[in-house]
Amino acid sequence: MITVRNLSHSYSKDGKMAVNDISFEIERGETFGFLGPSGAGKSTTQGVLTGLLKLQKGEVTVAGYDLNKVRNERFNKIGVSFEQSNVYSKLTALENLKYFADLFDVPTRDPHELLALVGLEGREKDRAGSFSKGMKHRLTFARSMINRPELWFLDEPTTGLDPAIAATIKDIIKEEKAKGTTTFLTTHNMYIADELCDRVAFIIDGEIRLIDTPRNLKQRFGQKLIEVEYIADSRPVKETLKTIDDGDRRKLAGIVTSYDIVTMHSKEATLEEIFIQVTGRGLL
Amino acid sequence: MIAKILRIFRRDALVATRDSMLILIIAMPIALAVGILLFAPGITDSSVRIGLLKDDGAEHIAFMENYAQVELFGSVQELERRVNKRDEIAGMVFMDPGYEIIVQGDEDPGLLNYAKFLNSLFTLGITREDATAQMLSFEKTVPPLKTKLVNMLILMMIMLAGMIISLGIVEEKADNTINAINVTPVSQNGFIVGKSLLGVVSTLGSIVVSLLILGYRDIDWLMILLVGLTSMMLTFIVGFLQGLGSDDVIAAAAGVKMTMLPIAGSIAGYELLAERWQWTMYWSPFYWAYKANDLILSKRADWPTVLVCVGLVLGISMLIFIMAMPKIRKGLS
Ligand SMILES: Nc1ncnc2c1ncn2[C@@H]1O[C@H](COP(=O)(O)OP(=O)(O)OP(=O)(O)O)[C@@H](O)[C@H]1O
Ligand SMILES: [Mg+2]
Repeated sequence: MITVRNLSHSYSKDGKMAVNDISFEIERGETFGFLGPSGAGKSTTQGVLTGLLKLQKGEVTVAGYDLNKVRNERFNKIGVSFEQSNVYSKLTALENLKYFADLFDVPTRDPHELLALVGLEGREKDRAGSFSKGMKHRLTFARSMINRPELWFLDEPTTGLDPAIAATIKDIIKEEKAKGTTTFLTTHNMYIADELCDRVAFIIDGEIRLIDTPRNLKQRFGQKLIEVEYIADSRPVKETLKTIDDGDRRKLAGIVTSYDIVTMHSKEATLEEIFIQVTGRGLL
Repeated sequence: MIAKILRIFRRDALVATRDSMLILIIAMPIALAVGILLFAPGITDSSVRIGLLKDDGAEHIAFMENYAQVELFGSVQELERRVNKRDEIAGMVFMDPGYEIIVQGDEDPGLLNYAKFLNSLFTLGITREDATAQMLSFEKTVPPLKTKLVNMLILMMIMLAGMIISLGIVEEKADNTINAINVTPVSQNGFIVGKSLLGVVSTLGSIVVSLLILGYRDIDWLMILLVGLTSMMLTFIVGFLQGLGSDDVIAAAAGVKMTMLPIAGSIAGYELLAERWQWTMYWSPFYWAYKANDLILSKRADWPTVLVCVGLVLGISMLIFIMAMPKIRKGLS
């Protein structure tokens, strides 16, 4: 569905690259997570793939269209939800969706149904300008589905939403996946990525460090960890120890025999910890 | 693509009804036209007026009514009082052996000539049916001051067209929706045309309505609309550039208002410069638009002259268009 070969992008002429020579492929029906800290180049990559940024260097095909040849009709197959919500504040929620529905050449979805899906029923006739940030974000998200896209770009779909609504959005993404929609999902939220993505790419400083399934990543990099809290010299101490490290195992044995244990549990490495381990950097 | 362009226009029109500034900009020229009509009655007379006595011969009155707007008075004194008012009217009173023409003295010479001409036609017994010659207008069937005011009003409306466009673009920018449009099948050219349509339609509409209000029914409408459409091109470019370059409606409107400078300069140049200096204004499309409108409104226009003016307006605007287009394209992507 997407093929990217040696894509580079720079916003300036001084050779500073926002995206530097990245390559990847996304299969039809796949949910692909693009993960990285702020400024890593996620939105830039999405910008090039959606045609909002000019392709400077590299070979990219999206939904069967070569990006070196500009063809607006390809957008009939593509849906884009933006990081920053962008809807007409002087139009109502319903008018916003109806307007965009009329700009596509393919059968579109019922605006009422979409608004209900993102929890905006009852607010159809209200101007988007009167909406809260989260509501505008949901309207932008709903709009990205108006043309029943085969390929769906989501930039930070759940950021800034309350947990209940974020859960609804996650469910919608899963439903679309079940229908066979290919999704390019950009986020810094590793839990979302873990839950929704078939494969994830770690991107940092404009470069992709690795691409794999969340499961494989956990097997390759994740070790069981023991988190232990104990009292030493009448002060609480907290430590995280690796079960596969001999030193850590001896240390743990020592703690258990010599000190008062307050809490102790084992946990699996999260995608976030793996990211730190691979890139040497946190996600925020 | 046509359907999408019209859809963009319909959305803009809907938003215009919800935006007080846009309503104001669209309604203002109509209000000004009504103002010209109400507060300056003397300058809106569009035909020659002739005052006659009620007891004048019925045949004479009927003859004059064929060619002028006739007002009837009971006595010579009443007629003289009317002639002395500030608008233009010529009185005709029978004094054996013929008619005497009464004027105030400061009238346009055309009026007196016209009255004399009608008088001789009547005396010679020539009726409309006999006449093989066409009635001459003496170039003064429309008072010149009115033509100038209306012409300025038209150019102001052309400037407002640019303002309407800039406000539409500022809205798209403020809501950050240009990105959203750019991921639909709407092409950039389609978007530009669509975003121009509200300015075109509302301005051409305002021009027609204002001209009807001001009593211009029998001008060549096709010419007026053609000149209006072509002279809008330049203000559109300014509208797009200002809209893309400004963050709020006030700044955009102020920027577009700057086109009033070349417009006012062109009008002043056309009206005040001596014939041998007129060429100094040839660079300005507004000069050619004003000139064409002047001829059309005073019913002196012929197609070749109008087409030359339109061609010059288009040519000059096109040059500026070619220079500005890369910037507009960049701003919209
Ligand atoms: N319009 C722009 N002009 C100049 N530089 C830009 C522009 N947009 C992004 N950049 C730079 O490009 C780099 C990548 O930015 P990008 O927006 O792609 O990051 P991101 O991964 O999406 O970050 P975030 O998680 O904060 O959204 C950054 O160094 C940023 O400063
Ligand atoms: Mg981003």
